[in-house]
Amino acid sequence: MAPADPLVVEPTRREDARSGREWRPPVRRSGLLKTAGKWTTHRLLMAVLVIVFVFPFVVMVTSAFKNTGDIFHSPPRLLPSEWTWDNFTGAFHQIPVFRYLGNTLFISTMTVIGTVLTCPLVAYSLSKLQWRGRSALLAIVLATMMLPTQVTMIPIYLMWNALHGANTYWPLITPAFFGTPFLIFMIRQFLINVPDELIQAARMDGASELRVYWSIVLPLARPALATAAVFQFVWTWTDFLNPLIYLNDSSKYTLSIGLYAFFGQHDVAWGPLMAACVMFTLPALLIFIFGQRYFVGGISTGALK
Amino acid sequence: MTTLPFTRRRRRRRSELYKGLAFASPFLIGFTVFVAYPILASARYSFTDFNLFQAPHGVGFDNYRAMLTDDRFLKSLANTLYLTVIGVPLSIIIGLGGAHILNLPVRGRPLFRALVYLPTIVPVVVGGYLWRWLLNAQYGFVDRVLELLHVPTPLWLEDPNWTKPAIIMMSLWTVGGTMIIYLAALQEVPVELHEAAEIDGAGIWARFRYITWPTLTPVTLFQIIVTIIAFLQIFTQPYLLTQTRLNSSSGGPDDSMLSYTMYLFQNAFVFLKMGYASAMAWILFLITLAITALLLLSSKKWVHYGSR
Amino acid sequence: MKMQAFSRSRSVAVLAGAAVLSLALASCSGSTNTASSGGKTTISFSYLWGGPEGAAAEKIISEFNSSQSKIVVKGVSNPDMQKQLASMSSSSGSFDVSDNFGNNVGTWASKGVLAPLDDLLKTAGADTSDFVPSAMNQMKYKGKIYALPIAVHTMQLVYNKKLLQAAGVTPPKTTDELATAIAKLTKVDASGNITQLGLGNPDQSTSLTTLGYAFGGTWDGSSTTAPTPTPAEPGNVAALKFWQDNITNKYGPAKVTKFTAGWGQYMSPQDPFYTGKVAMVIEGEWQAVSIPKNAPKLQWGVAPIPVANSSLDGTTQLTASTLFIPANSQHKAEAATFLKYMTDKQAMLEFTKALGNLPARTSLLADPTYAAIPHMSAWLESLKSPNVKSLASAPYSAQYSTDLASAFDSVSRGTAAPQQAMDKVANQAKSYPMK
Repeated sequence: MAPADPLVVEPTRREDARSGREWRPPVRRSGLLKTAGKWTTHRLLMAVLVIVFVFPFVVMVTSAFKNTGDIFHSPPRLLPSEWTWDNFTGAFHQIPVFRYLGNTLFISTMTVIGTVLTCPLVAYSLSKLQWRGRSALLAIVLATMMLPTQVTMIPIYLMWNALHGANTYWPLITPAFFGTPFLIFMIRQFLINVPDELIQAARMDGASELRVYWSIVLPLARPALATAAVFQFVWTWTDFLNPLIYLNDSSKYTLSIGLYAFFGQHDVAWGPLMAACVMFTLPALLIFIFGQRYFVGGISTGALK
Repeated sequence: MTTLPFTRRRRRRRSELYKGLAFASPFLIGFTVFVAYPILASARYSFTDFNLFQAPHGVGFDNYRAMLTDDRFLKSLANTLYLTVIGVPLSIIIGLGGAHILNLPVRGRPLFRALVYLPTIVPVVVGGYLWRWLLNAQYGFVDRVLELLHVPTPLWLEDPNWTKPAIIMMSLWTVGGTMIIYLAALQEVPVELHEAAEIDGAGIWARFRYITWPTLTPVTLFQIIVTIIAFLQIFTQPYLLTQTRLNSSSGGPDDSMLSYTMYLFQNAFVFLKMGYASAMAWILFLITLAITALLLLSSKKWVHYGSR
Repeated sequence: MKMQAFSRSRSVAVLAGAAVLSLALASCSGSTNTASSGGKTTISFSYLWGGPEGAAAEKIISEFNSSQSKIVVKGVSNPDMQKQLASMSSSSGSFDVSDNFGNNVGTWASKGVLAPLDDLLKTAGADTSDFVPSAMNQMKYKGKIYALPIAVHTMQLVYNKKLLQAAGVTPPKTTDELATAIAKLTKVDASGNITQLGLGNPDQSTSLTTLGYAFGGTWDGSSTTAPTPTPAEPGNVAALKFWQDNITNKYGPAKVTKFTAGWGQYMSPQDPFYTGKVAMVIEGEWQAVSIPKNAPKLQWGVAPIPVANSSLDGTTQLTASTLFIPANSQHKAEAATFLKYMTDKQAMLEFTKALGNLPARTSLLADPTYAAIPHMSAWLESLKSPNVKSLASAPYSAQYSTDLASAFDSVSRGTAAPQQAMDKVANQAKSYPMK
């Protein structure tokens, strides 16, 4: 049961209290001109909004295909005079794209596994179990969401150093196996809306809590888990600070730090840099296109309740 | 529900407690190791002089005292507060306004909503370099567009007065997330109230103020808190915008882009003053707590729960 | 229920498969950590160089590896200076040899980051007698050696012959002549925008500290064995005032910034000096290799740095590229053997020639290989001057350079007066670690 696509919103159906028939608000007859004016204003506003937000993408893509002369043309021209793949081949030569891709994919997959394993466990304890510390735990989870990362950054770094974890992937993967507050909260909100009857029935039948969780709740929670997986994947995929702090060998770099190191080494090689940006954005873009409803649904669920 | 004898209820309650703790154990362990212990350790380090290579030795309140006379500390704090005070209201207003626009009955709406949301999932590193290119004083497109509109073109990343507006602009590019949240919230606003008000002759602004806004106040509270926290710890955007060759640390022209957490990072990993950096981290923590508490307290005055 | 269980285990299998696949992809890299296997010891050499310079380093590495059978050196390019420091903080060590610059030695040695080399070098049989003396001073902390110089660099005034000829200017010898030259070589168009700048600053800190020396100033006091930060020396302030008067305030900070914002990548074919946007720069000897490669048509010349008075003739700033062993290396003896190899005459000659750097051994200065590189002799000669200056390598140096960089920035933008900016640094210097 996939969540409805929140970007497509249907107006709530209203019913007449007495007859039960659908009630539609009375249509006001405005003049043709007024309707046309409104229609144009709406389109204009929408167009301006979208153009402003999409423009940077257009610049990124067109710059990636420009030759040096076009890039350093003053005043800047939007479209290339000739489209060239040079920047892409240049970037490929200077950044080991496939290695960084593999590294990033590995870390992202591992954190998704960690999230999907642990977040529902905690969310379950916050929603379907009645126990004394429940509201305290909820408060702690919410409070942790508000914590600035820098407060804990240094001691955690020192801890990993002492454990010989620096320059490995452990610091990047392990935290995901202990739950992420926002995702725990989001799954919890989802679970609250899951009816209790199935669960109560299974408990009556003598199933252990773990059994109930594994066989009944988890399958029902699949949409929420899918959402959490998508979120976690994109977060890890685009993470900058953690790989920056922990990864020292360039062979271990993720795409974020690979791009960062590329810039640091070559300063303002704009053409290849834009090409590398395009390559780095593509996977996130694909995930977004296919997982769109999960993103938007997840945010709305988490934020509204 | 059947009533059980007292001891059995007690035992049942205790077994529920164990079950609850068991299921919550990953988070509890993680919290202790990755949150509680580091916060306390951070406090301890803030009272020491610690350079990572040699054992820490205690210096009492020296680190905190040094902050008051450290120009760059005060500058980083001022920069961050500027970004927060200007960035948060703008984010909320644009997010809300954008949500209204995205709510207009225009064909192809889902596509437009997706396009506006897209910048939020673009890797932040990509966004950083993209905006650096857009804001280039000679070859950047932002100035080109301003030129075409006959508006004066600032030097952005090279001009200390315009670097922070540049950072805000870059942050606002990802305000699509806020828009989507407000969009979902707008669907909860009772339509019949709007219709009734329109019939009574209320204008667009009055309708917003008395009908839409009260329903949106809980979401707004959440958004304000989340956005303030995000701006207080802003790191990646200014860090990337000030990046120089070989990644040697920089704060931008006149240190105008030095955010609080950037300076924290510099102290920790470049100057190897871990004690001082820990002290900075604690001050940030306290500021965040204070602001959140203030907002939650004040929320009683302006937030209406229960829209229906 | 059964269907759900099946699809659930299928999705688990998919996830597991994806994890394994990506693990396989990621582990194609192979380990760069140190290891001991069989009779050979593998050590890791992490260097800041990249591109063609990195390739030159790799060549030396493979020569070393084939010259003996006890030690295998694995080289890796890691051009991030901040990460380099972080790597050395873990207890197990990520690399055994690395490179950096001379003025960081004091800061790092005082913090216990570097391994002391005296005994290690003696065991390895290294000859440290003929290193350039001012470079060697930077390598020492409390009398002990903590790094070896592999190459040294000096600054000279590099100029565009054609642009100077067109403006009727001869290479300036004094700072007054420099001021006149800048005025004649800076061109402004009708709308007040700069189209050509007389003196550029590829590296602001280096340019301004060198100018400070040229005006008779000094940045670390007068004693080489007990340096103290002296930013507000009259010569330093005079140099900054020179910069502000002749460039920043003369043409307007906004115009200058606008011009520099549009410059192409340093040392690429779009470099502002190579493309004639800048007429003169204070640059190092690596340009002798870079210009023929990136701008073969450029007609250029090299002249000594203009000085304030004749007693300062031949002033130049010397910096050194160093090789060091981090304190947390597990294979210090083997690392020292490699260090000896790389700083021996043969390897040093080959490496510095490829990079276009000056050798750190005085015995190599007369080698004809360098003379073959156009204009390199100018930099070689500059090493012989008695007025070769270098920034101290002291415990406070890292923070001092950062504070100076901030101050230089505000001076060159016209937001602070030179004396004011330097007094501020002097104030900040009061809290510097001195030992």
